[in-house]
Amino acid sequence: MRQSFAYFCLERRMPVRKKKAYIGFIAPGFIIYTILMIVPIACAVYFSFFEWSGIGPMKFAGLDNFKKLFFDARMSKIFFNALKNNIKYLVCVLLIITPLQIFFAYMIYIKIPCHKYIRMMLFLPYVISTSIVGFFAIIMLDPNIGVGNSIIGALFGNKAKLAWLGDPAMVFKIFVMVVIWQCIGSGMMIFYADMQEIPSEIIEASIIDGAGGWTRFSKVVFPSLSASFSTNITLSVIYALTMFDIPYILVGPQGGVNNKIDFVNMVFYRYAFGGTYFGETSIGFGSSISVTMFIIILTFSFVTRKLLKGRAGREDRG
Amino acid sequence: MNAKRIKRRKLKRPGPGKIIVSVILVIYSFLAIFLIGNTILSSFKTKSDLINNTIGWPREFTLENFRIVLVDDGFLRCLFNSVFLVGISLLLLIAVSSMTAYGLAQYRFKGRAALQTYFLVGLMFPIQLGILPLYIMLSRAHLTNNLFGLALIYTANMSFPVFVFTKFFNELPIEVIESARVDGAGEFQIFGRIIAPISKPVIATVALLNFVTIWNDFYMPLVFLTKSSVKTLTLGVYTYTANFLANWNKVFAAATVALIPVIIVYLLFSDQIVAGLTGGAVKG
Repeated sequence: MRQSFAYFCLERRMPVRKKKAYIGFIAPGFIIYTILMIVPIACAVYFSFFEWSGIGPMKFAGLDNFKKLFFDARMSKIFFNALKNNIKYLVCVLLIITPLQIFFAYMIYIKIPCHKYIRMMLFLPYVISTSIVGFFAIIMLDPNIGVGNSIIGALFGNKAKLAWLGDPAMVFKIFVMVVIWQCIGSGMMIFYADMQEIPSEIIEASIIDGAGGWTRFSKVVFPSLSASFSTNITLSVIYALTMFDIPYILVGPQGGVNNKIDFVNMVFYRYAFGGTYFGETSIGFGSSISVTMFIIILTFSFVTRKLLKGRAGREDRG
Repeated sequence: MNAKRIKRRKLKRPGPGKIIVSVILVIYSFLAIFLIGNTILSSFKTKSDLINNTIGWPREFTLENFRIVLVDDGFLRCLFNSVFLVGISLLLLIAVSSMTAYGLAQYRFKGRAALQTYFLVGLMFPIQLGILPLYIMLSRAHLTNNLFGLALIYTANMSFPVFVFTKFFNELPIEVIESARVDGAGEFQIFGRIIAPISKPVIATVALLNFVTIWNDFYMPLVFLTKSSVKTLTLGVYTYTANFLANWNKVFAAATVALIPVIIVYLLFSDQIVAGLTGGAVKG
């Protein structure tokens, strides 16, 4: 009601005088946003068709950069390994992290004992810098001085001690657990905020109708989460496909043992900025990785939007 | 409030399932307390104490680690850089994004809807995708290794703040603005004198959320701030952890310096940070 009243006023009375003032309000933002946000993305697309080291003349290369990325024997192996990890992580998001977030959000929503404290503590790691999270991982998981191995050593003897991040079979799992520890709170709070928007009459009615805990969740609460669902999935897809900080800090720029947690954004970083350490710096080739990420994000966002539309269409609040 | 009553009724006797979940999550939360608490405690330990007594109460308190880290290793500089970067970024980001949002929300003009969509593009495409051209642009303008240059990038990443501010400005009571107009106030005067003060809550949520993200950001400083004179705290901590055995006594103090501000901000303002995060996110 209030909003429509406001709109009514806006349409009728606002624009009579001083119409042009909006230019003054929008111009600074428009200029900064366009030059530093939009133009670089467009430039990345342009650069991807050139061979250029950053200095000297640019040489048009057609699709050579992409060919190298997808088909070069050495390069394509690195790239597809990284992409596979991005997708593997995305699957973990959909199958493990998102369900956990919904579960925790619902636990807080139904006010389990100590829910305020639990909410506070689950969200807390979100505000901790990734470099400190990396340090925490050392404290817990370092093979020599870590708490994990001290406990295992005390309980089962030195032979049972684990290599943790040095073990190719464990490194991805540890990475996902670190992500869960640090990042579960944000999505959880988005789901929780959405749950609080559910009209109390609906919950009340379901209680009167005698719906049990599970029925109430699956039939009443879960179907009303479409808005937060699409927000969270979109954010997660972007986060998953641009994954960088946590693996970089946990195992360094190469993606750790057997490149088990190498990601596309790290490959990009190595070729775009790591010239001194990794041999070649190629703006054109680096850009072609950016453009590929761009297209993948676009595709995934499009697909999730299509998939969620069927759900969201039914109940359009907001 | 019916919902409240119902929930309270439920709360009286929580089922065994709820208690089990609660106990598990409370135990899980001890991990965070342990990690943070142990880091802060260990930062006060002497070097020899730290080797035999990594976990536990310090045998004697010393500020030596902080002195080494802050003064000898130049962490004071990192601290200053982080504070300066966050301050100038927030100032620019909030000024620019709130003005943009005000222009988009309160005026009707041709192409307004298209422009609103245009400002949302950044939600879909992270700034990282254009980082290479951005780097070239900034280095040509001599703005790499420059805190102000990085602040401009954080300002350009304004899609979400613009979105949150636009939502807020859409619901402003129009009468206030109208009466000011009748009194002959200029449009920018109205914005500065009337709109800005009543926007304090939304400014606070945007500022707090971005304080946390910019203070903690790793990727952008890694790319744009390579000289040690401009390094931020997160980079400083990383240089220690990357070679932690050599810096074992320093790394706790360094992490503590970087941790304390965000922890304090979180304990004081966790609700606003969450509001900033979910502010625009849920109603899409």
